[in-house]
Amino acid sequence: MGDAEAGKKIFVQKCAQCHTVEKGGKHKTGPNLWGLFGRKSGQAPGFSYTDANKNKGIIWGEATLMEYLENPKKYIPGTKMVFAGLKKKSEREDLIQYLKQATS
Amino acid sequence: MSFWSRQRYQRTLFLLLLSLASARGVTPTPKGCVVFQSEKGSSISCHPPAQVPRSLPADTFHLVVEFFNLTQLPPDILQGASKLQELHLSSNRLEGLAAEFLLPAPGLRVLDLTRNALAGLPPGLLRASAALETLVLKENRLEVLEASWLHGLKALEFLDLSGNRLRELPAGLLANLTRLRTLDLGGNRLEALPPGLLRGPLRLERLHLEGNRLRVLAKELLGPQPDLRLLFLNDNQLAEVEAGAFRGLRRLDMLDLSNNSLASVPEGLWAPLAQRGRDMQDGFDISRNPWVCDQKLNDLYRWLQATKDKMFSQDDTRCAGPEAAKGQTLLAVAGAQVDLLRLQGDGGGKKRHGPGPGVWDEGSLVHGHWNQCPVWLLFSLPLPRN
Repeated sequence: MGDAEAGKKIFVQKCAQCHTVEKGGKHKTGPNLWGLFGRKSGQAPGFSYTDANKNKGIIWGEATLMEYLENPKKYIPGTKMVFAGLKKKSEREDLIQYLKQATS
Repeated sequence: MSFWSRQRYQRTLFLLLLSLASARGVTPTPKGCVVFQSEKGSSISCHPPAQVPRSLPADTFHLVVEFFNLTQLPPDILQGASKLQELHLSSNRLEGLAAEFLLPAPGLRVLDLTRNALAGLPPGLLRASAALETLVLKENRLEVLEASWLHGLKALEFLDLSGNRLRELPAGLLANLTRLRTLDLGGNRLEALPPGLLRGPLRLERLHLEGNRLRVLAKELLGPQPDLRLLFLNDNQLAEVEAGAFRGLRRLDMLDLSNNSLASVPEGLWAPLAQRGRDMQDGFDISRNPWVCDQKLNDLYRWLQATKDKMFSQDDTRCAGPEAAKGQTLLAVAGAQVDLLRLQGDGGGKKRHGPGPGVWDEGSLVHGHWNQCPVWLLFSLPLPRN
């Protein structure tokens, strides 16, 4: 079970540059992540995704995020997200735990 | 002969015919690249088992060529691609780039070269890249950097040099990067930084220095960037943060000093942060340091008491000494110590350091953790309570 507090720090360090999490948060280089869990990829309202992301067609949850966040460009080839990924499993678990709380 | 219609967002997966713009004639690009057509132009995405394209349609605005075993790009690959905005070349094995390779694409905004084998950039590579906003050289083999490589990048906002082998940085590296907002130097081998590194017209918001070998945070480093919001210094070998290092940082909202070798900090170090009248919005982390919890940390204790709900890793922020305090959390010691100082009052044995009255609202101090293991205080004064 990931540690959401540690996940929050990871978010600030590696994600907050391009993403917000709160309800009504603005889109930046990347989409606002409110409502992420249970949503189909490429569907945050008002954000202009690449076709690669829109067409991926998966539902975001713990398992899909674990895979995605390890290497986003491998999971969604053609994505414009410039993020090399989180190698450490524990970091991904922590981050996902934080996202679960912060985006719903 | 046209294989596809010009409807929006139509996805195709077959041989691509080039426009006749190229003087070299029509050259079909290889099978397997995914092409999306829209009113913006062509977005082309190539991964194995597709082949690397040797040329591109004139309306290409987005190109992805990733995960190939490619040590060099085909020469002139960008010839004719004058509308190119984003170029994603991560996870190849690029060892070098031709000096003129970006000249056909003066509108380029994003260049991602993450995870290649570049040991350097050819001089003049970026001289026509006045529109480049994002440059990522993460996880290559850079051991040295020449400031001249970055000349001309007047639109650059995001520079990622993390995960390389940089031991030192040239003076003036950032001098003309007037728009730079984020600088990531994490995961290198930096032992020291040129003192004027951050001098210049840049308006830095985010500075990543985590995972290096820095031993000292010099007092002049951050002064030129008063609007710095996020500062990551974790996982270094910092044994010293010089007095005044945080002076003038009116917007700092995240400070990570975790996993260093800090045993103590100079008086007044936290005063500039404490005096702003607002907390650090994103938090701070000073855990995993060998703190010596004596009276020299009084300023820090007061600040911790006032801002502890923004403190990460509270349980991992512990005293390594002196013997009596070993193993206690800093917050426990801080709580007890601040209470003791209140009880002593201003006429107490030890002169109070730090900001003057009115800044520390004593009414808001929370009482120490008396229900935990008794905290040994380090003066010869008796504990007021048991």
